[in-house]
Amino acid sequence: MRRNTPLITLLTGGALGVVLLIASMLAPRSKAPTGFSAAATPTPASAATVQSSSPAASPAPAATATANAQFRADYAGRVKGGVHASVAISIHGTQAIAYACNGSSVEAWLKGTAAGGRLALTGKNGAVLTGNYDSRRAFGNVSADGITYAFSVYTVKKPSGLYRATADVRGATIKAGWIVLPDGTQVGSLESNPDAAAPSATAAPPLDVTAGTAQDANTVLHVISISGTTGSGF
Amino acid sequence: MTAPPTIPVPLPPQRAASGAAKIAVPSLIGALVALTLGIYGRLHHPTGIAINIAGFTSPGYVKSWLATVATVFALVQVGSALVMYGKVPHVAAPSWIGGLHRWSGRLAFLLAVPVAIHCLYALGFQNYSTRVLLHSLFGCAFFGAFTVKMLILPKRGLPGWVLPVVGALVFTLLVALWFTSAYWFFSTFGIHR
Repeated sequence: MRRNTPLITLLTGGALGVVLLIASMLAPRSKAPTGFSAAATPTPASAATVQSSSPAASPAPAATATANAQFRADYAGRVKGGVHASVAISIHGTQAIAYACNGSSVEAWLKGTAAGGRLALTGKNGAVLTGNYDSRRAFGNVSADGITYAFSVYTVKKPSGLYRATADVRGATIKAGWIVLPDGTQVGSLESNPDAAAPSATAAPPLDVTAGTAQDANTVLHVISISGTTGSGF
Repeated sequence: MTAPPTIPVPLPPQRAASGAAKIAVPSLIGALVALTLGIYGRLHHPTGIAINIAGFTSPGYVKSWLATVATVFALVQVGSALVMYGKVPHVAAPSWIGGLHRWSGRLAFLLAVPVAIHCLYALGFQNYSTRVLLHSLFGCAFFGAFTVKMLILPKRGLPGWVLPVVGALVFTLLVALWFTSAYWFFSTFGIHR
């Protein structure tokens, strides 16, 4: 009797891979970046703001969705008013992700729709972004942590754009975001406990765009690019 | 490392074309495995989510240590293969050398699988730097080459050079994977857990 042991080895490894892959697909639901899932259920106040300012944007009509299904763009730049705060918006079809940040305590992740040239995004703690966009620029207002900024930002190409990192360290979640401006400047914040009622953010560690990593104390953060152009992060 | 003098290879009477087919079909399957991994890694949007294992600082360290242990087992693979083929002077192959070779290989492979799944699911096939592109290519090629090795192992009547060459390819790819990942990781972030 000769059993095909190499084949058994191969199939065992394959089965292990499939099990781990399924486990990975199931696991992130509980460990997903909570700011994002929270953005899907905005507070009544922020939802009302979005609807009153752009009634056509939510829900996106099916026809508009089809027309915009292929629209992809990434915008980033400083907000108006000579402050350090910046905003990055990525549009992938009718989905939009935005990040507003002043490089320290003020920051917000927002998620929403881009349809018919109008942006309507919401985030945690009443964060709201409304505005207009075309293939060249996006402009409007974004409110984060009670501060409203006006912005008019232009499309950017990699390595400029939006980056995000999440990590679980001994039960605590770290969530960081970076906006890389066209001149290479990085504006980033890091929340060490984004699930808290009033999460406190601090300046993010420098992002190594080439390596896709940043180091926060002893923790290596693996960064993913949020890009509407490539669809990464959507 | 061409003809293995100590391993008698039985040559059953078979069709002349069967030798080529014995290598071609496994090679084709191996190529499909490599291609499938590459396409999945490219199409699946990387989640960036990394589940931490207790006792390690980050998933990068978990992966680096698993890859390092797998590479050590791969070194055992080469050593035991050399002894089996009688290539080490004054060392006669002990009876357990076959078992050592098989089990070190199995362990190396099984340790590499979780690392690869994390790479594929959380990070994907990337090309943003030379190291990352090479690592992505080597990763896909390694599991393809390993599949070929496992599929041709039980086949009889292959030319003597086939197994050493495929084995060396698998080993080289694993070491290249280690250098483009764990070695880079440890030298960038330091060696600890």
